[in-house]
Amino acid sequence: MPRYGIAIDTTKCIGCHSCRVACQNQNGLDYTETFNWIKDKERGKYPSYDKEYVPLQCNHCENAPCQRVCPTGATYTTPEGVVLVNKKTCVGCKYCMEACPYKMRIILHHEGIVVKCRFCIEMVREGGTPACVTTCPTQVRIFGDLDDPNSEISRFIAESGAEPLRTDLGTLPKIYYKRS
Amino acid sequence: MPESAWGWLIVVYLFLAGSGSGAFLAAVYCDLLAPDWSKSLAKAGSLVAGPLVAIGTVCLVLDLEAGLWEPWRQVYLAKNLSSMIAWGVIILSGFIPVALLYAAALNEITFIGKIAKKYIRILEYVGSIMAVATATYTGVLIAVVNGVPFWNTPMMPILFLASAISTGLAAAMIVAAIIDITTIKTLSNFALGHVIFLAFEGLVLMLLVFMSLTRSTEAAISANMLISGVLSPYFWVLVVILGILIPFILSIIEYYEYGEMPKSLVIGSDLLVLIGGMSLRALIIFSASPPQII
Repeated sequence: MPRYGIAIDTTKCIGCHSCRVACQNQNGLDYTETFNWIKDKERGKYPSYDKEYVPLQCNHCENAPCQRVCPTGATYTTPEGVVLVNKKTCVGCKYCMEACPYKMRIILHHEGIVVKCRFCIEMVREGGTPACVTTCPTQVRIFGDLDDPNSEISRFIAESGAEPLRTDLGTLPKIYYKRS
Repeated sequence: MPESAWGWLIVVYLFLAGSGSGAFLAAVYCDLLAPDWSKSLAKAGSLVAGPLVAIGTVCLVLDLEAGLWEPWRQVYLAKNLSSMIAWGVIILSGFIPVALLYAAALNEITFIGKIAKKYIRILEYVGSIMAVATATYTGVLIAVVNGVPFWNTPMMPILFLASAISTGLAAAMIVAAIIDITTIKTLSNFALGHVIFLAFEGLVLMLLVFMSLTRSTEAAISANMLISGVLSPYFWVLVVILGILIPFILSIIEYYEYGEMPKSLVIGSDLLVLIGGMSLRALIIFSASPPQII
């Protein structure tokens, strides 16, 4: 069984938000709702100055705080390591939104449930790649199996030394970032 | 990215569950240790405890989204025992009936009350454990959240328990005065309770703020929001001065003046404790600051 993850090269990101739009399209979301964010961070001091765009989405943590606090067990992890929400048992208590240190979950008020990035699991199971990955014009994201040492993502992480965000929080995220 | 998912309904719930369980503890204390001259306070405490927690629970349910429109989804609420909400559901479903039964027993309401009166000691002991569990759990609920570093400390349940006892005592005292205004003199005996618990609450609150300033960047952001930032006027005026300091001083005077204090001041001081307890919970929820991730 693969263990899916995404590697993100922020040095390539131009902040065009295509990933966000592709994701909204794929998941039938309104333009105000999204599973993808791009945050910018200013680094350095003039004249050695740089603006970094950091694409953000659910980290599909192995030790997921959202799953631990979910009273109904609606949040679960698939065998491929993808953290999903069962739409039928979510009560919309929003405890998971408070518990997520990355704040990557949103509530759909019209459905009354909390939703998040699903790694486009239906497409992936049919051999495809998540929409945010394929749509990116500068190929910022690499999707693949973290357990396969020969996968493109594993080789990229090994070569670049990419690391997840805030590893000190102990949630074991599966999104890796190359930031310089 | 969404900032805070919880709002006023959760704040009101945290406050009512806390003061309701505090009122229960006050009632049991009066009935067990000082039964003669504190009857009306015991009765008042028992009468408000169940309804306060029940109204709080209604707020909690109103805050649900899919679970509110499709209530059958609520059967799943106690499925995952690693969630504090699941524990909360179990504790509340035990405590609310026990608290209502205790009110019926102590005030001999209907035949149920007369039957329950035979088992009043059991109701008191079991109910007290559940009341402490309710008050503490409201703090644990947010203390286990590592998405908000300011909340993520074992001091939170201790603060909530202390505040629950002082607000519960205040609620019981106000209702005691409404039921029987002549009882107001004997209320001075309980001013000492306010002195002790308000002092303890103030101490824990001070420790929480000081520790948060150095614990992590994000906890410091929240603590600074309270002591010098956008929320500071509310924190200093509503929580510290009106909610703790003034009732603390009034309670000391009330205790030494034994029954000579104007009624308006006695009731006023209790109302201030309630305002402080509510504000404390609101400010803790609204000062939430997530970890800085990039």
